[in-house]
Amino acid sequence: MSDVMVDHTQKLEETAVPNNLEQQDKQDEEQPQQSVQENAEYEDEELHKHLVPDIIQLPLIPPSAVEFNFASYFAPDFMKPGNDQYVYRHANGLCVVGLASTHLAFKDKGGITAVDFNVGKSDRSGMKVTGKRKKNAQHFESNTALCKVCTNGDSYIVRCCVKGSLLEVNERLIKQPELLHSSADREGYIAIIMPKPADWLKVKASLLSLEEFKKLRVLC
Amino acid sequence: MTPFGHCLIMSSRTFCLSGCVLRILGTEDHIYCHSSFSQSMLCSVLEEVTGFKSECDFQFCSVCLGVLQLIYRDDKETLVKMESPNDMALVIAELVKKEGHQIDGFSLEVSIPQFILENESSLLSGMKKRYESEPWLQERLLSKCVSVKDVLKFAITKPLETLLDTKASASSFRIRLAYTHKMAFGNSVERNQGFKRRKIGTENGLQNVNDESVVANKDCSDYPTNETIAVTGRSSLKVPIDKVSEPCHLVYLCYRTHIYLCGRYLKYSRNVSQTRWIIDEERMGEASVEEIIGSNILPMCRGDNYKFHAAGREDIDVRMLGSGRPFLLEIQNARQVPSEETVKEIESKINGLENKLVGVKNLQVVGSQGWTLMREGEAEKQKQYCALVWISRPLEDEDVCSISLLNDMQILQKTPIRVLHRRSPLERKKIIYWMKIERIAESSQYFLLHLCTQAGTYIKEFVHGDFGRTQPSIGSILGCRAEILQLDVTDVKMDSE
Repeated sequence: MSDVMVDHTQKLEETAVPNNLEQQDKQDEEQPQQSVQENAEYEDEELHKHLVPDIIQLPLIPPSAVEFNFASYFAPDFMKPGNDQYVYRHANGLCVVGLASTHLAFKDKGGITAVDFNVGKSDRSGMKVTGKRKKNAQHFESNTALCKVCTNGDSYIVRCCVKGSLLEVNERLIKQPELLHSSADREGYIAIIMPKPADWLKVKASLLSLEEFKKLRVLC
Repeated sequence: MTPFGHCLIMSSRTFCLSGCVLRILGTEDHIYCHSSFSQSMLCSVLEEVTGFKSECDFQFCSVCLGVLQLIYRDDKETLVKMESPNDMALVIAELVKKEGHQIDGFSLEVSIPQFILENESSLLSGMKKRYESEPWLQERLLSKCVSVKDVLKFAITKPLETLLDTKASASSFRIRLAYTHKMAFGNSVERNQGFKRRKIGTENGLQNVNDESVVANKDCSDYPTNETIAVTGRSSLKVPIDKVSEPCHLVYLCYRTHIYLCGRYLKYSRNVSQTRWIIDEERMGEASVEEIIGSNILPMCRGDNYKFHAAGREDIDVRMLGSGRPFLLEIQNARQVPSEETVKEIESKINGLENKLVGVKNLQVVGSQGWTLMREGEAEKQKQYCALVWISRPLEDEDVCSISLLNDMQILQKTPIRVLHRRSPLERKKIIYWMKIERIAESSQYFLLHLCTQAGTYIKEFVHGDFGRTQPSIGSILGCRAEILQLDVTDVKMDSE
């Protein structure tokens, strides 16, 4: 890739001139106009060469944005057997929490019918966090309830897993609980929590890595 | 004996003091010429008023604090008495030479302690009271007071023009004589003592200089009115004027106000940040656009410092190609303003660097209109991108078609998780003006997405959806999972070009 850049940069220098020429378009005669056109096209071509990737170097299936930017952790049987949850932690410290694919709720026939954020003392979907300092964010413990996931026969409490400030809950789940089925690990996330660095270190010790979790649940 | 008489007796002791008295009365001649109000008349008036001659031991005019006597303490606390304004001009010329400034003009400024203006007010109001019936006073009061600053500037400018071989004009090169006095208010003493004669590399140093000139610009031209009293902050009718045992402290300063270079930059690397980015003493990325451009321009201007401003920014892993992004480089205290030729050389040099990380276009020296150019590029403008996208199923012709039909599409973006820790949680409406899919020959799931969006749109999140927090996204439009591998900015559209 860098070899390509070395070759073309010099030409980019030369085509810097046409920028000025284009302004004089109207006054120029036909022939100079043609060369402006050519230069503009040439510049586009040059740019284009930079853009087209070398396919051979690209992986068949690239890592997803989540895999790339987040570290995955798991809390199996959190507070209750079958309550498997994930915690995806971004490099900036923010944690996205949700239901792991092995959660008991997914085993219910008929599937998940509703998600209700009105649990504990307040409706989690009602809070408004504002500003860079995240004013009004509620501070929750790791066992604080985030929401209730209902199936035909049962209901399950989803908890924070991480002690910290609740920044956001996925309100889309209220109208579209089926998101939990289609992509619980992305569009079906439950909430975003911001832990303090010290609190994160404490909880991290009790969470499993992806490898450990796979082993535990005997997943391939 | 009135306290005021005491002052006038001191007046008769030095040429300067009586000169100051005359100056305040508004004589048009400066103190180095004969005044039309004769010396003998002045003395007799003064004697008449006081009727008493006393031996007072003092050196410095209590009105101008020795400024117009060309007496001062330098930064080594040595008492300096210049023989003529020429000598002061010589000191200045030496300083300019030592700093290595290349100039084609200069602007001479003098800043004096507020205290001098208060003295002048006091003296004037005192004399007005005492001699209000006198005809000569009535006549004098019609003229304006000649300020200390004007006298000094007038005296020094011509010899300075000769020594520096250039004219005094409105120039970015400033020569400043900064006088301070211990008896002045605490504030201004503090501010002035922070100066160093050279190496005013910090913004603070220069800003203080500017503030001081605003304060000291109030001349004594008006007779003491309520306004003046309010301005000086204490009663200007204080008589007698305090006798001074110390002259002013003088600092000679010469500096150039900021010069600006503008242009457009290109970033060819996915490992170069726009500005210097250091976390925990470790640099992020291998270099920064700011440092590459700044470090190549600063030495050519022989400046103290630079500041880099750009019209918007891109992530470290996003290349800036095509027309380039407008930037402004502010150079502080440049010893030399680069010529057009030099600027072209700088541009070639940067573009010719071996590592080819950054490129520069249309580099030129600009005036303060550079800022207008910057602001234009920021908020309202459209930006054009090219993204390398992967989807979880093969690309169909239908997809290419449906994407190209979406024009001026509004999207709603919640603050991306990757910046949510430092930005407000908001939902931002953005517009995608147009999109075009370019197939990649050997692949069915990779393609290039060209798009033009409103400034402030998070492109990466528009592609992968950010946990569904950007609606719609490429993934939601195509009904599959979409990931972005690479992003390039291909155009930053500006009105003026």
